[in-house]
Amino acid sequence: MRNEQSVRPDAITDQERRTFLKLGLKITGVLAGGTMLSLAPLPDDEAQAAFDLAGYRRGAKYKPHYGMVIRQNHCVDCEKCKEACKKTNHVPDYGWRTTILEKDVETEPGKKYRIFVPVLCNHCLNPPCVRVCPTKATYKDPKTGIVVMEYKKCIGCKTCMAACPYNARYFKEENRAIDKCNFCFDTRLSKGEKLTACAAACPAKVRVFGDLADPESEPSKLLRQPDKFVWVLRPEAGARPFIFYMND
Amino acid sequence: MKTLNKTLLAALLAIVTAGLFIVASQAMGSDDEEDGGTIVFTKPVKAVIFEHSIHVEMGMDCDSCHDDPFEMAAGTAEENDDFNMKALYEGKYCGMCHDGETAFASNTNCTACHIGVKGYNRMMGTKEKKGHGSGHH
Repeated sequence: MRNEQSVRPDAITDQERRTFLKLGLKITGVLAGGTMLSLAPLPDDEAQAAFDLAGYRRGAKYKPHYGMVIRQNHCVDCEKCKEACKKTNHVPDYGWRTTILEKDVETEPGKKYRIFVPVLCNHCLNPPCVRVCPTKATYKDPKTGIVVMEYKKCIGCKTCMAACPYNARYFKEENRAIDKCNFCFDTRLSKGEKLTACAAACPAKVRVFGDLADPESEPSKLLRQPDKFVWVLRPEAGARPFIFYMND
Repeated sequence: MKTLNKTLLAALLAIVTAGLFIVASQAMGSDDEEDGGTIVFTKPVKAVIFEHSIHVEMGMDCDSCHDDPFEMAAGTAEENDDFNMKALYEGKYCGMCHDGETAFASNTNCTACHIGVKGYNRMMGTKEKKGHGSGHH
């Protein structure tokens, strides 16, 4: 309950919004944890309705359509996800494909509660990184919707890094190319694994991964709960991110 | 004569310094003995903090938790395979009180005790590895 309070859209002041806009892209890592707006009605609204996933996906023809639901209030920053990701995808120390942000929220005057926010590529439906790539080295996989990198086409111009509202990309020296989360497509999913390394490693089931085109998948069912409040990070960027957050 | 003086002075200084250290460590030791200090658990996840002082200030006695559910020696509980949240929900370890009646339930208020890897590193003074999210580019 405490957490829900913290992510209510009316908890974000105009000042915060203005500051956020002024600061721009450079400190996305910090702000991604700070700007959350609701997509579903507030929990104490009289008329409650489930988050409209079908409406959100409108026009998307991916099958399976991979996405993730993050049960944020269960995250305790043990970072087993981060370790598993690094090991599976050979992520160097200076970069990340997924990480955990932290934020202190005031639950009542003078009382702080810490929340941890797992972040990764949002595999957006309208990805700004794809739009700006001059060599089409990054694109949305037509089958799964995963935003993938074709390293050999990447010229390392870093325009995608600047365009990403989620700071989810880094330049990998070893590859001389941009690297990012691809839901472990090459390292796990294509080998028959059902979960990403981070989701499999999480001891608290914070990361629920699956096919959001399938209404019976675990993440789809989570999003359908009528009494639960669902949000995405930085919806105002207009990228239609496909990583959903809830307190469950 | 001069060198002898110097040696004497150095020796004296060494004794005084060592003495200070002993006094300082004894002072810290007695603090620990009073209420056990801060316990940081790193297994099965990094990290969970337990403040003896907060619990003592609530009026709890040593024998509220020692030797059952916790032995006096720090790190003993962590060696048990069942030292996890499931056990807490079943009323073991912290769950003996953190059951929603005596104290807040173990499945709520997670970050009151879970400080995470970030909290652990801050406590230990380990500098966090600078990732690309730290805004240095």
